[in-house]
Amino acid sequence: MALDSCTNYSLQEEIQRNCDVNLDTCYECGKCSGGCSNGHIFDFTPRKIIQLIKLGQENTLLHMDALWICVACNICWDRCPSSINIPRIMDYLREKAHQQGITATRPQVETFHRLMLDSIYKRGRVAEVPMMIQYNLAIGNLFNESGMAARMLLKGKLRPVLTSVKQIQTVRQMFNNPKKKEG
Amino acid sequence: MQNTAKTALVIGAGPAGIEAALKIGQAGYSVILIEKEKQIGGMVGKLCSSFPRWENPQEMLDLKTRELGKFLSNITLLTNTTLKFCEPVEKGYLVILEDSDKELNVKVDAVVLATGFDLFDASVYGEYGYGIYPGVMDALEFENQLKDWSAHKSQTEAPGAIAFFKCVGSRDRSKGNPYCSKICCMYTAKQAGLVKELFPETKCYVFYMDYRSAGKGYEEFVRSVIEEKHVHYIRGRASKVLPQNNRLLVRAEDTLMGIPIEVEVDKVVLATGVIPRKETARLVEAFGINTDQYGFIESEFGSPAKAGKRVFFAGGCNFAIELPGAQYQGAAAAAEVINLFYQDEQEER
Repeated sequence: MALDSCTNYSLQEEIQRNCDVNLDTCYECGKCSGGCSNGHIFDFTPRKIIQLIKLGQENTLLHMDALWICVACNICWDRCPSSINIPRIMDYLREKAHQQGITATRPQVETFHRLMLDSIYKRGRVAEVPMMIQYNLAIGNLFNESGMAARMLLKGKLRPVLTSVKQIQTVRQMFNNPKKKEG
Repeated sequence: MQNTAKTALVIGAGPAGIEAALKIGQAGYSVILIEKEKQIGGMVGKLCSSFPRWENPQEMLDLKTRELGKFLSNITLLTNTTLKFCEPVEKGYLVILEDSDKELNVKVDAVVLATGFDLFDASVYGEYGYGIYPGVMDALEFENQLKDWSAHKSQTEAPGAIAFFKCVGSRDRSKGNPYCSKICCMYTAKQAGLVKELFPETKCYVFYMDYRSAGKGYEEFVRSVIEEKHVHYIRGRASKVLPQNNRLLVRAEDTLMGIPIEVEVDKVVLATGVIPRKETARLVEAFGINTDQYGFIESEFGSPAKAGKRVFFAGGCNFAIELPGAQYQGAAAAAEVINLFYQDEQEER
């Protein structure tokens, strides 16, 4: 792996400031990675991601595949003996990659994120069936997962129609000022 | 009230020897405490601070000196003094103690060896350049440096970065020392923490295989150095020191990532491991006691402090030990001596 030798700690400081974490508390034990839902297909496991941050490897972090296959299940955070909020770090890195116009290694995942956020912005919530249709149209595979969708629909697991929340303006405030809720 | 018929010889006035002498003297027996150096305190006198409570070792020594002063009727302290000769006699030893200009013949009823440990000679590691590059120093030299910096902080220009290498002469089969020296993890954390206390802007890097902090308050101590003082721990044994830009370039692998890393620093501190003292070997022979394969004194089966016939030990001559541990062992050896003397008196009665 051709990573530059680097001992720049400004990335660590930036992430600690923005994500309310202290990466110096990391025990390097790997419990985050041992439990990670998608760890088996991550190019860098959560433990390595923390280490890359400490080594200032921003370029590697913003281009890594793990950014787009992390499902934000929060298991890493839940199991971490130092309670490091790794999902928040992953969010921060995704946001940063997106802002810098870096192409996601998994474009469909980015599409999914975008459609979901659009739906929340417009209606304040997500309904699974319209969302799926939109997504399948966007990726050009109309029958993607349709068999499972049908079974889930019959069991009442999917919301078929999209309604709006009453106070949509309150929801939109989150989009206008994402810093606000952090106080 | 006092029974001073029995006399113990304590060799070495470091924390273990002082504690042993104090306890035996306080129990009412005579003690001769000899120290080869001019001052008492041993290794502790050379230290800048202590773990896990950042206490000043000098204050502890001053306290012990005052306590010794209260029992001068029982405890005779002889500095600059070594054991020249010893001969086993019934229930004791005939010893000849010598200082620069005189000798003293005395019969002692028990002996406590508290000769302490030495530090590994770091120049054995050619790749670290100890003895070649002036910025590379061993742990005791750095304690002295810290004392100097503390005393003249305002006149000192803060170093940009310092690297600490752990396991120098420890956990190294190739150097004949496969054992863990036990104290280096803690004193390295202390030294790096002190640097950050003096110069918060100085970057400190600790290269480690793992850190061992088994002791009351020890884990919290190391974590506070990492988390609050922001000393950077890098997992991997540093492999090479090179001169670069009038500084020192350290090469290592970050083994958590599996990538080679380089860092430029102004000083490299080698956390040198613990080895037995040469002087101990001579005493071991004189008193006919056992050591392990390295030369550390071995205890007799079932006893915490007994090494042979009327010979006990305490502190670093047995193995690497930190200050409180040396004091425990000093007290344990004293308990054995006091018990032995009491048994003697019962028999004589």
